[in-house]
Amino acid sequence: MNRFLTCSFFLLLFSVSCGTYRYPNASGIRESVTQELNNYYIDTAQTFVYRAKLHVFKKDMNGNLIVKTLTRNEHRVALVSDFGQTLFDVSLSPDRYELHYAMHDLNKRTVVREIVDIFRTMTTQRHSTSAVMFANQQHYYPVYVVDNCYYVLKERRVERIQQARGTKEHLAIIYREWNPEDIPTSIAIEHKKFPITINLTLDPDQSTL
Amino acid sequence: MKIKLLYLLVFLMPLCGQAQTREMTANERASFQQSLQQLLEVKTVSADFVQFKHLSFMKKPVESSGKLYVKHPDKLSWAYTAPFQYKMVFKDNKIYIDDQGKKQTIHIGNSKNFEKISTLVSSSLRGGIYDEKEFSVSYLKQGNADMVRLTPKLAGAKKYIKEIVLLFSPKDKHVEEVRLVEPSNDYTRFVIKNRKVNTTIDESIFNL
Repeated sequence: MNRFLTCSFFLLLFSVSCGTYRYPNASGIRESVTQELNNYYIDTAQTFVYRAKLHVFKKDMNGNLIVKTLTRNEHRVALVSDFGQTLFDVSLSPDRYELHYAMHDLNKRTVVREIVDIFRTMTTQRHSTSAVMFANQQHYYPVYVVDNCYYVLKERRVERIQQARGTKEHLAIIYREWNPEDIPTSIAIEHKKFPITINLTLDPDQSTL
Repeated sequence: MKIKLLYLLVFLMPLCGQAQTREMTANERASFQQSLQQLLEVKTVSADFVQFKHLSFMKKPVESSGKLYVKHPDKLSWAYTAPFQYKMVFKDNKIYIDDQGKKQTIHIGNSKNFEKISTLVSSSLRGGIYDEKEFSVSYLKQGNADMVRLTPKLAGAKKYIKEIVLLFSPKDKHVEEVRLVEPSNDYTRFVIKNRKVNTTIDESIFNL
């Protein structure tokens, strides 16, 4: 009996830990023609300066987020406080990152990993050959899948990126407004595991567009 | 050809040297410290400031501007007006913040860094008696302007600041530029303009 219970427990644990995220109201995944996703930060002539409002572990903080496109899929991202202090400065590419600087309090492995994950997801262009199927297709916008990220398209633009880990949503990046050149002017970032929200508003005067 | 290049270098060298920084001589240092004495008479300062954040990978700095008010001995108002509105008031051992109508109060006991910034800004604008326990102080000349370089001695401060450079106006010996250099060598430059000294500052400036 004890052996049976032990085996059942581990089987249950195994099935839970190996569970995968299921997109809300999805009926399955289908193949699609290759879709280019998240083309917002691919022009190397552009530098984006966003006014950043952060709410992190019940503390409010303001500053500027700077995104510089180095190559099509390589970005330098820095967050600077209002008083001018650099909080972090990191180069991101799809499979590696280089931390140029992180303020002492932020220079912890877990924190840096989350920072890299958030801003890599926000800036990286992806190509998808899979899309989510819905039982009632008329009611839903196209959703493309790459690895553990779901890209929701509205009017042919990525409106939202939802990243899953295990069975749960881990991160949501919502592009709320765009200028006439389709550059995101308002972005909301919500971390689903830690109490972190970041609101970004493009400062066109300080950006090089 | 080599000789022509050498001549060119010899003629250009003095031009390059004009903005170079050098240590003050003993006489210059004595004269500079004497001139700082006048600033001890400063009871209030109001000024505009422009802040330039320089990052190594950016061609142009990120710019913001605002107004600052200092009232001796312990009141400082630091308000950004462009491109965003954000005001901080340091008084009564507290920091009052108004972020576009969203107000909060921080006890300085919880934020020693803010206290240091407040003390440094206030004392610099009033001529500065630099804490030689916390900083090693270098007295320099850049062209005609006097310059003070403060390098943190304490390990805690070194994590955040590599050095603070104060540039004084050759005309009236008031601070006209502050540069905060970070350990990464990125830096923030504050340029102080339209300075008014010992004028009456309405107390409402320090109320949030």
